[in-house]
Amino acid sequence: MTTKDIGPKGPVVKTGEAVVDYVDDRSGVKTGARWFLFRNIPKGTSWFQTLGFTAMALFGLQAITGIVLAMYYKPDTNTAFRSIEYITDEVTWGWLVRGMHKWGASAMIVVVFLHMGRVFIWGAYKYPRELTWVTGAVLLFMTMFMGLTGYLLVWDQKAYWATVVAVNITASAPILGPYVGDILRAGPEFGPNTLSRFYSIHMLVIPGGIATFIGLHLYFITRLGISEPPWSKRRLRIERDEEDARRRAARERQSLAGRTVVPAGEPAVPARAEVAE
Amino acid sequence: MKKSQQEAYKQDYAAAKKDGKPFFPYAIYKDSLIALLAIGIVITLAIVARVEIGEPVNPASSDFIPRPEWYFFFLFELLRIFKNQNVLTPVIMGTFIIPNILILLMIIWPFIDRGPERRIWKRPISMAVGTLVIAFMGYMTYLGATAPEGIGSGETIELEPQDEISTRGTELFIANGCGSCHMIKGVGAAGPGPNLTNEGGKNRGVQWQIDHLKNPQSKIPGSSMPAFASLPQQDLEVLGEYLNNLGTKYK
Ligand code: HEC
Ligand code: HEM
Repeated sequence: MTTKDIGPKGPVVKTGEAVVDYVDDRSGVKTGARWFLFRNIPKGTSWFQTLGFTAMALFGLQAITGIVLAMYYKPDTNTAFRSIEYITDEVTWGWLVRGMHKWGASAMIVVVFLHMGRVFIWGAYKYPRELTWVTGAVLLFMTMFMGLTGYLLVWDQKAYWATVVAVNITASAPILGPYVGDILRAGPEFGPNTLSRFYSIHMLVIPGGIATFIGLHLYFITRLGISEPPWSKRRLRIERDEEDARRRAARERQSLAGRTVVPAGEPAVPARAEVAE
Repeated sequence: MKKSQQEAYKQDYAAAKKDGKPFFPYAIYKDSLIALLAIGIVITLAIVARVEIGEPVNPASSDFIPRPEWYFFFLFELLRIFKNQNVLTPVIMGTFIIPNILILLMIIWPFIDRGPERRIWKRPISMAVGTLVIAFMGYMTYLGATAPEGIGSGETIELEPQDEISTRGTELFIANGCGSCHMIKGVGAAGPGPNLTNEGGKNRGVQWQIDHLKNPQSKIPGSSMPAFASLPQQDLEVLGEYLNNLGTKYK
């Protein structure tokens, strides 16, 4: 790394450069950051292409508010409800953090669905981005599962019975259902272990899964590049040119068949290879 | 997509990229703006619509409403539609078949729709499938959001003749929250459980009813009804008698 425009380098600058070079030589962070940040994306990317990033930002917000809640929450059937009351009524800003976590969950679901809708409508899941879509589908599934497991943690009547029904439904599925049901409940019945199991799934298992899959998702996106809007100016121009070429070729064929003379002034167009859209 | 079409796409995309702009800062600034807006909305909602605290869990308790988060409403609505009323609506359709078809369809969609075309108006089938799924889920969510949550306070079920069993049975039915999943004579929720107005006509027997309440899965495998094993034996007997005569003796 060389920095040229700061005059004679002091020892601090020199040491700093040496440290950065040392780390980059071994980890490739600089190369990686360049690969991620300074790649080109097509012109005319749309505001709809910000939704994926927004989902990611909301996941970050959930992580932060979740960590704060976990500092006060007590995952035990005797204390869970009380600790939620304590967070809401007594902890400074507790009501705000809990409110943000709750609304953030809904917002994340909405944004993820909108993101998926935009990918669908644009056909952005097509070659070569099929696996980006699959990792996204897994993310959607995990996001909804976060909602299910988090709902129970409040340990109030509404959530408890909704979860009982949801888990019973899961357990009623053929073949694997009963096993999944037992895994979720930590046994054949709802009990104290169910709550700590949901806590662990909600706090550790799925967030880890989501983080991993966001990583994969981003790797695919960076490697393949974000798709161009199907109706970008560039695409429309190409389509217009193709259409023109097609028309001219048709006219030419007709004129050859009818042996009519090509009108003067019209340049002979070589039959253009059709570019597949 | 044929090999040649894949190559053509790659070339076309490379051209778009060459002619493009760097991700940083052009995309990042748009992304950050919208993300900050979303976070702002979340904070505003948290301030304006404060979170509530419900009733603490009481597994033995009476009135409760099993109401999930709004994004699961569509699943609960499916249960209301498919509740074993006839052969065309087996419960498994709502609990297993339809949800899993939707999940599978979502995961393998890029391998079904493989054509090279990306413009909306040239992909009528994709758009039709997409619109159908979105409309279906949206409508089911709407139904779930507006469905009655159970029996309103003060509401009761008018049954003739009025005797000890029919009066006490109705009380227990309401107090134990059966009405948040079942309906009797138009009172209560239309699902996920079946309408019990004519339950007696099935001639299940009092003992069957009692055993079913204690452990629904032992009588109806795969039932999603919670167990009421903690009810006093006396109440179970009244409810059993009551259910076994609904629609026959008590109308
Ligand atoms: C959380 C929802 C829920 C609650 C609460 C509930 N049930 Fe059910 N119940 C169901 C479902 C779902 C079924 C259908 C199961 C199946 O067929 O797979 C059912 C089935 C039944 C049946 C059997 C119907 C038949 O097939 O003959 C009876 C009887 C019944 N419930 C009575 C009650 C009573 C009495 C209560 C209150 C003490 C109650 N239920 C509370 C969901 C519920
Ligand atoms: C937690 C949830 C998710 C996060 C954080 C996320 C994140 C992102 C980000 C940051 C992008 C970059 C472009 C953009 O913002 O539009 C993207 C693109 C993409 N996402 Fe997601 N996503 C999520 C869920 C999904 C889901 C549910 C699907 C579909 C099933 C999906 C499929 C795709 C595809 C195919 C692309 C590439 C689109 C293109 O290149 O135009 N993602 N995602």
